[in-house]
Amino acid sequence: MSVQGVTFTYHGADRPALRGVSFAQNAGEMIGVMGASGAGKSTLAKCLNRIVPEFEDGDFHGAIRIAGESLEVLRVCDVAPKVGMVFQDFESQLFSTNVAHEVAFAMEQVGMDRAEMDRRILPALEAVGLRGFEHRDPMSLSGGEKQRLAIASVLALRPSVIVLDEPTTDLDPEGRAEVFELIKRLRGQGLSLIVIEHESEELRAADRIVVLREGEIAADGPPSEVFARTELLTACGVRPPGLGHALELLGIEAQPKSVDQAQDEIVRAYPRLARTAGGKVADSQPQPPSSRGQPFIGIENVSYSYAGGPRVLDSIDLKVEAGEFLAIVGQNGSGKTTLAKHIVGLLQPATGRVTIDGKDRAQMRPAETAREVAYVFQNPDHQIFAATVEEEVAFGPRNFGLPDDEIRRRCDEALEAVGLQNERQSDPFLLSKGERQRLAVASVLVLRPRMLILDEPTTGLDHREQLRMMALVRDLNRSGIAIVIITHTPWLVAEYARRVVLMRKGAKIFDGGVREFFMQDELLRSSSFRAPEITELSRRFGTLALTTDEFVAWVKGRA
Amino acid sequence: MPIYLYIDRGTFVHRLHPTVKVFSLFVMFWSVYWVDNPIALLVPIGLIMLWIAQLTDSWPNFYRLRWLFVILIFTTTLMWMVFYQRGTPIFTLTLFHFGAHTVAIKVTRLSIKFGLGRGIKLAELLAASVLFLSTTKIEEFTYGLQRMRVPYRVSFAISLSFRLVPLFIDSAVTIVDAQRLRGYDFNQGGPLERVRRYVPVVIPVFMGALRKANNMAMALEARGFGFSHEPTTFIEYPVTVADVIAFAFLIGLGTLYFMLYWTGLGGIGPLK
Repeated sequence: MSVQGVTFTYHGADRPALRGVSFAQNAGEMIGVMGASGAGKSTLAKCLNRIVPEFEDGDFHGAIRIAGESLEVLRVCDVAPKVGMVFQDFESQLFSTNVAHEVAFAMEQVGMDRAEMDRRILPALEAVGLRGFEHRDPMSLSGGEKQRLAIASVLALRPSVIVLDEPTTDLDPEGRAEVFELIKRLRGQGLSLIVIEHESEELRAADRIVVLREGEIAADGPPSEVFARTELLTACGVRPPGLGHALELLGIEAQPKSVDQAQDEIVRAYPRLARTAGGKVADSQPQPPSSRGQPFIGIENVSYSYAGGPRVLDSIDLKVEAGEFLAIVGQNGSGKTTLAKHIVGLLQPATGRVTIDGKDRAQMRPAETAREVAYVFQNPDHQIFAATVEEEVAFGPRNFGLPDDEIRRRCDEALEAVGLQNERQSDPFLLSKGERQRLAVASVLVLRPRMLILDEPTTGLDHREQLRMMALVRDLNRSGIAIVIITHTPWLVAEYARRVVLMRKGAKIFDGGVREFFMQDELLRSSSFRAPEITELSRRFGTLALTTDEFVAWVKGRA
Repeated sequence: MPIYLYIDRGTFVHRLHPTVKVFSLFVMFWSVYWVDNPIALLVPIGLIMLWIAQLTDSWPNFYRLRWLFVILIFTTTLMWMVFYQRGTPIFTLTLFHFGAHTVAIKVTRLSIKFGLGRGIKLAELLAASVLFLSTTKIEEFTYGLQRMRVPYRVSFAISLSFRLVPLFIDSAVTIVDAQRLRGYDFNQGGPLERVRRYVPVVIPVFMGALRKANNMAMALEARGFGFSHEPTTFIEYPVTVADVIAFAFLIGLGTLYFMLYWTGLGGIGPLK
């Protein structure tokens, strides 16, 4: 594939989304595309199969060729057999009621005969590890399985290139691992891949990394070269791989591909650490969940099941103190969100009870609960409806009948807290995803709750936005608001939370301090939750660091 | 929560040719349309539906929609009992006097019969749809429509919309939750005010629907949708003896109901 001088400006936009983008991909190569939100990654992906400019209105210049053939005069559907495309939103790309038929869908569209379809379906399912699922309903599959099915459906057409646009953003760690494992396998089979992804760790295996900034290519080269330019990456809103960054801070010039390699490099540079390498971490003092006096939230023996289904919560006991910072982790379907919904009163326990500040929540009106505990949904678009940012934030206090000047004061305060004070009159639908997420926080913060529950607060945000969001959450916590985050992201837990609750199949299987949590190898493995690589690396040296800075300081202290 | 009504079983109804299934839906609607008499609505077509529901294990879907059925039958019957003013009154309920006029409700044997008939009719239309969706896959629906000369794009859009409705309901439920947690009370004010109070739900649902529709359209084209005007079909639907028998039976059923109408037997009896 060759991309030459591609420039695209969306209709009505004041600057191009892509500007003079050129690169070439050899057959069998895997290219990782990275960049902040709005850098042009998705636009580029859409250019590769003609969705841009066929679907999106705008001004397109440049040329894209596949095996020498120009795509210029082709429709999106004509490109389908040449360029396969897998999207982030897996729900929107499955159209059938059974897995085999889903794989056949694209082949039917291009008019392939039945015998040929029959020949291709099983190998495609085999390739993505879904052999034996032929008769399952795609909607009954897990997120990772759905995404693998989407890939199988694309594979069946045998395209020259497969483009994956953030294929794992909406998946849990298990699903992510499944999809990246598959990508690795496909690459091994010599398929040409273009993968758009936020997490640099996942792209270390690529042949090349293309970094986009404001629609232009800011870097293009092998991962070892591109990932070494941490300053550039940070400026582009890309999180540099933790291991490489740590080595750089330690003055070691290397881009390790694994924790093993990073360990070797450090031992080579700091021979004195060889003695501690391989040592066991001394058990840190386990921090039992604090239980001084009356907790702010008390969950006592709560069980719950959805109508006719199995138990989603099984005899849960949990206490949350005022001002705590708690992370709830666990695979999809482990009961995290159901538990949170019990706290805010969206669900009533089948058995047991929930108390808020000593009061039985069942006796509290929803409005009363809303002033104590606020809940920020994973998708901010599930609540935004007003014409301006200010009106959106004012919606809550208006529902409580607060006087106008009080509402104004609170809106100012909440918008200031989330850094949207200059967007008061903006249309919420035109804000970026990160801004919309912060708006969602402001619109519950305005009720001055004592606890904030955030469901996956960083999903779909780029690194810069993630840091900004989490800095906000940390500030709120420091101001005395208790925080509960439901998350799949290990570094978020390591860097921000002080206590972790791990859920599995509706049961709480771990409740304790963050350091203690990351030492539970067996529990972590069986829950498909991995410690951040820097934590893993630190443990090789007999210590446990939660952040890069902490590890670097430790190494320098010993050297 | 399962979002489709389709229940995967291997019964002969499930195995019928898609065209026959779409035709059977049409015949059920047709038959129910022509008659008003509760007895004619129950025998034989009501019994046939019960038998198919039993045979195809469709009861869970009826259970899911039980309140819709109850409300439909109850309100329709009651409404028509009140407004259908023909026949000899069993009792009369005077509401108020307006000058020389008296506004009263007469409940007659005929109005009860008519009301009940209307209730059953609507419930049967719903039941026919539930049975159809319980036994027909989306692909079969598309195929059936195509065979009835509906263009592929249209038939695919119709069948896809069935898939989308439950997704939108799902997101609407989340949105209602989100707004409730901001202290919003959906149950304030009179009926009109209550409708208006759903604006904070309707807008996010609508915006979400637009986004989803756009994503879906892109994903469809990226899979080659539109490449060929006559896509091939992966699943073979051979016509079997059962299809021929079912087809003949459906023709018979449709004719029977038209005859019931034609002869007046399907009506609610002479107006007295």
